[in-house]
Amino acid sequence: MDGNEVSLSIQHMTKVFPKGEDQLVALDDIGLEVMDGEFVCILGPSGCGKTTLLRIIAGLEKKTDGKIMLKGREVVGPGPDRGMVFQEFALFPWRTVRRNVEFGLEIKGIPPEKRAEVAQKYIDLVGLKGFEDSHPNQLSGGMKQRVGIARAMANEPAILLMDEPFGALDAQTRNQMQKELLRIWAETKKTIIFITHSVDEAVYLSDRVIVLTSRPGRVKTVHTIELPRPRDRASQEFINLRKNILDELEQQRQGI
Amino acid sequence: MTATQKPDRSDRSFFRITRGQASDYVLYAISLIGFLAVWWIGSIVLNKPYLPSPPEVLDAFIKSFDKEQAKAIGGLTMGPQVFASLQRFLLGFGLALVLAVPLGLAMGYSRIFEGLGKPIVEVLRPIPPIAWVPLFFVAFGVFLGPVMTIFLGAFFPILSNVMFGVKSVDPTLMDAAKTLGASKSKIFTKVVFPYTIPYMMTGVTVGLGIAWMCIVAAEMIGARGGGIGAIINNSSTIGLYNYMFAGMVMIAILGIVTVGISKFIEKRVSIWMGMK
Repeated sequence: MDGNEVSLSIQHMTKVFPKGEDQLVALDDIGLEVMDGEFVCILGPSGCGKTTLLRIIAGLEKKTDGKIMLKGREVVGPGPDRGMVFQEFALFPWRTVRRNVEFGLEIKGIPPEKRAEVAQKYIDLVGLKGFEDSHPNQLSGGMKQRVGIARAMANEPAILLMDEPFGALDAQTRNQMQKELLRIWAETKKTIIFITHSVDEAVYLSDRVIVLTSRPGRVKTVHTIELPRPRDRASQEFINLRKNILDELEQQRQGI
Repeated sequence: MTATQKPDRSDRSFFRITRGQASDYVLYAISLIGFLAVWWIGSIVLNKPYLPSPPEVLDAFIKSFDKEQAKAIGGLTMGPQVFASLQRFLLGFGLALVLAVPLGLAMGYSRIFEGLGKPIVEVLRPIPPIAWVPLFFVAFGVFLGPVMTIFLGAFFPILSNVMFGVKSVDPTLMDAAKTLGASKSKIFTKVVFPYTIPYMMTGVTVGLGIAWMCIVAAEMIGARGGGIGAIINNSSTIGLYNYMFAGMVMIAILGIVTVGISKFIEKRVSIWMGMK
């Protein structure tokens, strides 16, 4: 990790949806700081607004109130400084793997030779060498998400936003992708915010787990995971950490 | 890496007949032969001049290409008349394509364009293109009249399919483009437009079918302008029904060939674009 510099800072952020005459408070006074190179998971039950939070950071949705700063600059609207990986992969079906990865570079107006070079670097990074000219519909789910990760990373964003990226994958592929993501993270030292509803996934991956409450979404607790990587899911510490968070979620569900 | 095979390129090859397709072709052949048999028997049983047998029609079809023989039907040789019809067809269809595609894109993408265009489209769409023929003859003459009819016939299917395509664009693809830094205009050129291409092709196929109906009807109403419709019309007036049928056969052939080519391209485009 790069030390103690703040990458992303969210202050008193609120999101209210109009709901007929009423208002639905989706996110209430969210405060969060993510350090450079940190891996943060945001965990919460479905409907807690975690995806909304990520979409607001990405600039795909507007916040009602508050402030979001990335590297000291205020975030307004979407921008290539925040890369996003989607649960549904969101690959362009008519583009090959290479041309999907090159998309952001094309937008930036980078010349073709340079584009190909950068794209190749990230295709290699995610382990898709040899599939450059395949179309997304020729790839398995796990491979599609590798393309999604490479495409977001090729833009060299300051932060990578991942919205339940492995949610659509089977359990085995999911575990494998988690390992791969940790390897990629270690190689690139990217700052990552990762949304999940799986406690296991959060504890396995992250430096910190932020637990949100639901309706309205608030930061409930923050767990720092200090287990060394690679983490052993069967270790006592891992099981204890997971149990703590699960108990917390269960209490929340019962309204204690 | 998961044990996924390297993609099989033969899936993308151009000509490939599978077993299922082969048995389909057998059924198609049976169907056509059956149709011809019913026609033939019908012509013998009925024994009326207005229903010539298939060989008589075939004979007229071949003769209709000959300048001397075609004198019987007022010198309307098939070759030049097909050419006249095709000319009108290409002109009308091309015009429809050139106008309907950008309009469909604009009406699908922009609420303002949709609001301005939709009422006009909804009012004009239910009027059959044929209903415009008399007006078009008066306004545009014997050559351009049918052209405008074809234009109208092809315009609406292309327009509505393109519009539908734009509205079908997966919103997460647009989100992805936004997070990769794309502006509204880049999203249009790099996401919306390519996404719409297969829909456009569907519109072209549907439009082609309607356009053939329009051209013949238009040429028959104003037979002075020539064309295949004029052959059909003139031959029936003078009682040479075998030539009338020859004209009908010609339309069928042209329709099948153009729609067939269009469908083929449509399918291939979808596969090439990885959207099927």
